[in-house]
Amino acid sequence: MLETTAKEFNLGSLLKDLPTQIDKLNEFRKLVLTDAVLLGEIPSPTFNEEDRIRLTVDRFRENGLEGPEIDEHGNASAILHGTEGRSSILVMAHADSVFDANTQHVLNVGPDTITGPGISDNAIGLATVVALPKLLEMLGIKFKDDLIFLANTKSLGRGNLDGARYFLDTMKRPIRAGVCVEGASQGRLSYSGLGTLRGEIRLEIPGNYDWNRFGSSGAVGQLTRVVNQLLEIPLPKEPKTKMILGGLSCGTTYNKTPKRGILRFEITSEEDQVIEDLRQKVDDLCEQCSLENGTKVYLEVVATRPNCGIPFTHPLVKATRSIMSELGVTPEVNPSTGDLNVLIEAGHPGVTLGLTTAENIGEENESLHLEPLPAGIAQLITLLQAIDMGLCES
Amino acid sequence: MTGDNKKWLDQNTFHHGEFWDILKLVKEKEKKGLKISLCIPTLNEEKTIGKEVLILRSELMERYPLIDEFAIIDSGSEDKTLEVASSYGADTYLASDILPEEGDKRGKGENLWKAIHQLKGDIICYVDADISNIHPRFVYGLVAPLIHRAEVQYVKAFYDRPLNYSSGLRSSGGGRVTEILIRPLFSLFYPELTNIIQPLSGEYAARREVLEIIPFPIGYGVETSHLLDLYLKFGLDAFAQTDLDRRVHRNQTTNALGKMSFGILQTFINRLHSQGKIDRIPDMETFYRRFQVEDGSYNQLTQEVVEEERRPMIEVAGYQNRELSS
Repeated sequence: MLETTAKEFNLGSLLKDLPTQIDKLNEFRKLVLTDAVLLGEIPSPTFNEEDRIRLTVDRFRENGLEGPEIDEHGNASAILHGTEGRSSILVMAHADSVFDANTQHVLNVGPDTITGPGISDNAIGLATVVALPKLLEMLGIKFKDDLIFLANTKSLGRGNLDGARYFLDTMKRPIRAGVCVEGASQGRLSYSGLGTLRGEIRLEIPGNYDWNRFGSSGAVGQLTRVVNQLLEIPLPKEPKTKMILGGLSCGTTYNKTPKRGILRFEITSEEDQVIEDLRQKVDDLCEQCSLENGTKVYLEVVATRPNCGIPFTHPLVKATRSIMSELGVTPEVNPSTGDLNVLIEAGHPGVTLGLTTAENIGEENESLHLEPLPAGIAQLITLLQAIDMGLCES
Repeated sequence: MTGDNKKWLDQNTFHHGEFWDILKLVKEKEKKGLKISLCIPTLNEEKTIGKEVLILRSELMERYPLIDEFAIIDSGSEDKTLEVASSYGADTYLASDILPEEGDKRGKGENLWKAIHQLKGDIICYVDADISNIHPRFVYGLVAPLIHRAEVQYVKAFYDRPLNYSSGLRSSGGGRVTEILIRPLFSLFYPELTNIIQPLSGEYAARREVLEIIPFPIGYGVETSHLLDLYLKFGLDAFAQTDLDRRVHRNQTTNALGKMSFGILQTFINRLHSQGKIDRIPDMETFYRRFQVEDGSYNQLTQEVVEEERRPMIEVAGYQNRELSS
């Protein structure tokens, strides 16, 4: 009881500093915005993040961190040594983007917004992690713990969180807690990882296909049947389960019957067994389509994540909610399908935070709002201070 | 290519990558007691000015103090150019407020000229406001040769404009006006100046001592006149050029380029007059000079183009006989 009171008192003193910190961060925000533009204009599709990572490492060095490293998976990391260094706090942001190298990576800077591909997901998140050592120095904040800064690669899509997973698998230091930083949206609070399966149903029509057979059709027709049958699969309401058909590619022109196609989908569920059962159903459906239609239809699983999480009542989550409440932000509790999964899977308590608000996320005209950003960064710094002070441990 | 041209190209052509260590540049600048001013001339550039101010101020004034002074000099924008620039910390001026007793003329050259009066630097760097992929290299790449080499007075930017990647060879040059107007004119009248790969690029840096002694056309001819006037006074050795890689900017219409060419031609012909070349036109050169890049090395290619002329057919005896026989 006495300990709880002391923790609350300490958190209260941190919360009191928030308005001053926001004012100062508003003065320093150009540091973060500059890095967001310079990093964001370097194309960084999943599996090809090298150029963005190279600048990240330069920036870690320029911001006062000694010996930043790039590991075998291309992750960049660096350490800010604490005054005691008994434990470490991990701050991470994914360095990859959904946009390929052919996309024109030009960002437009207006007085209130920055607009362009990937600015919110996740150039601004990465820039904040990169600028953090400098911001802490400018704010005069020191930590007892070591802070580990990580720009992880191979996070999205087929990357399947491989960069962060490799980093955490090979990490030797004791990690007290971790915070995943995303550009949007402010108020985001993820403390659990949602069980996920991402897959591709691939359809190929063989060269000896009998076009006179009853019901024969090209890849478009065949995939349409697959889609209809997928939509017939019943999904439970409890545990919550969802299937998204996210992409369909088939054919190249108007007047040629395509012989290949791909359907991309994602299944998420609060129960791992439900995902496994659905995977089996999709597999059976593919086999049925193959045999009934004389085509080759098969499922390729490109990414999987088990359910994981820390409780809503965990002190790390409580501290995060208190900070958001002080900022007047209503938490949006959503399970993550991103880097947080591997952090929690590896046994470390963690949360994912969003820094500011944005529009058109995932589109080339993605637009980031600048006004809420200082508060979003103050939220992150205050949470790290709370972890450092031992206020987020059960 | 002559030996002198090759030597100049080798010694006075740089790549911005040679100057990546900005801290080293700052130390050298301070050791030499130099002050550097950056000027961006603007007219309705609200879409790109925010990023230019953010990146250049943040990187080259706050992180590394290479630039001592940074000003936007505006021709009377009707959009939010000045508001956006101010929001990112730029000092903004209206060209009409500078030296008002000299009157107010409208054009980019006017802003560049008035910048000499307004700014205090020993070196003034000019960067156009319409660059979409702005990066600190657009400034440090240009001022570095002036910091390192006392004899260099004026540094021009040039950019990567690849026309042919597949063969490993690529033509390197400027935009359409450079290639179809300036390069042919220089090849005819000032063959040595063809060593400047992109004579019309809007980014350059120069010492105050040379900027204050040359006239400034207020419009399109300002880049051309700088080259012609400084070449006459100091020769090619006063120039250097830096490869700044790629520049992304808005594309101009053919009509706009025609207008630009008209302005440049006026400046050029004025220089021919004042340098006594138009009244006593010398034997014109017959070699057309252009560039090719091979394995990172710039080579000037010369090609003889003799525009021989045929007399009117009516004067040809064979033709006259044909007329008679029919």
